[in-house]
Amino acid sequence: MIGSGIKRGTAELAVLSVLQDGPLHGYELARRIEQQTDGALRFTLAALYPMLYRMEQQRWIRGSWETSASGRRRRCYRLTPAGKKKLSPLRREWAELFRALHRLTKVAHG
Amino acid sequence: MADWHEIVRQHLSGLALEPQDRREVIEELSAHLEETFEQLRREGRTENESVQFTLAQVDDWRVLRRRIQTARAKECIMSNRVTQFWIPSIATFVFSESLLALSQKFGPKPTIFAFSGNPSVLVFYIPWLLALPFIGAMGAYLANRAGGSPRAVFCAVLFPALAILGVFLSILPVALIVDRHVDHNIIAAGFLVALLGWVFLPATALLAGGLPAYLFLSRRLTSGRVASQ
Repeated sequence: MIGSGIKRGTAELAVLSVLQDGPLHGYELARRIEQQTDGALRFTLAALYPMLYRMEQQRWIRGSWETSASGRRRRCYRLTPAGKKKLSPLRREWAELFRALHRLTKVAHG
Repeated sequence: MADWHEIVRQHLSGLALEPQDRREVIEELSAHLEETFEQLRREGRTENESVQFTLAQVDDWRVLRRRIQTARAKECIMSNRVTQFWIPSIATFVFSESLLALSQKFGPKPTIFAFSGNPSVLVFYIPWLLALPFIGAMGAYLANRAGGSPRAVFCAVLFPALAILGVFLSILPVALIVDRHVDHNIIAAGFLVALLGWVFLPATALLAGGLPAYLFLSRRLTSGRVASQ
């Protein structure tokens, strides 16, 4: 079973990575993550917003209300400098973890 | 079409945030549900299917409410813990101990149960034991109303028994170390009898009220959710 710490870590990495390309509102953010991971990572509303609010409290992202051309008000999230700073070590840690797991599974099957 | 704003507003009505913050959370979440619904309709699903899929975005609104509350109000984590755990726990403890003191002072004589071959006796204060299910139910109600997790609810329900267990567990090693002349078997037997009378029986009585109350309150919330859908 994947522990909550690992799940949280991957989810945070996914959000920060996607927001690096530009600001997005919650629904679009969830869709973008799903599309870019070919459906491997999916966020329901219940999983997404508590995480976004927590990341906002940590000042990794910032949310602000914007009105679209259709007149719909949406809260858009953008990466803060602290979030950008957080992203690179997070990427490195996960890359190391995946490399280690890959080596391990290769040894186990080899 | 479903009124997403109203659905979210009803489910998150107990969200303990500033009114402005609460309004913003409700607006943001209802916009998300609305867009999910519209996307499903564009993909060709029927309205009924789309509503069902959209509602499946949230398994348990109570859990979502608690998570949002904790995430949004970082500075309020302590106050969440206070309202969801400490206040209900202390209330059950104070009521339980006050009733015990009252039944010792003014109530009928305690019922004493002696075990054959064991010098320890079980002392029952029947009025107190009969009142404990109501105290347990009160603990469950207070913790549940504050949005406490099932763990917080059951800790609040059982807190009077847990507090006594804590006292026993801290006294036993001291008694074993300090009183070298006491036969350890007697202490162990007395300890077990005391555990039975002062921890397990009260815990059972507290649960007898707390568990049905919790199940009833959870079911009422679920019925409310189904009704609002």
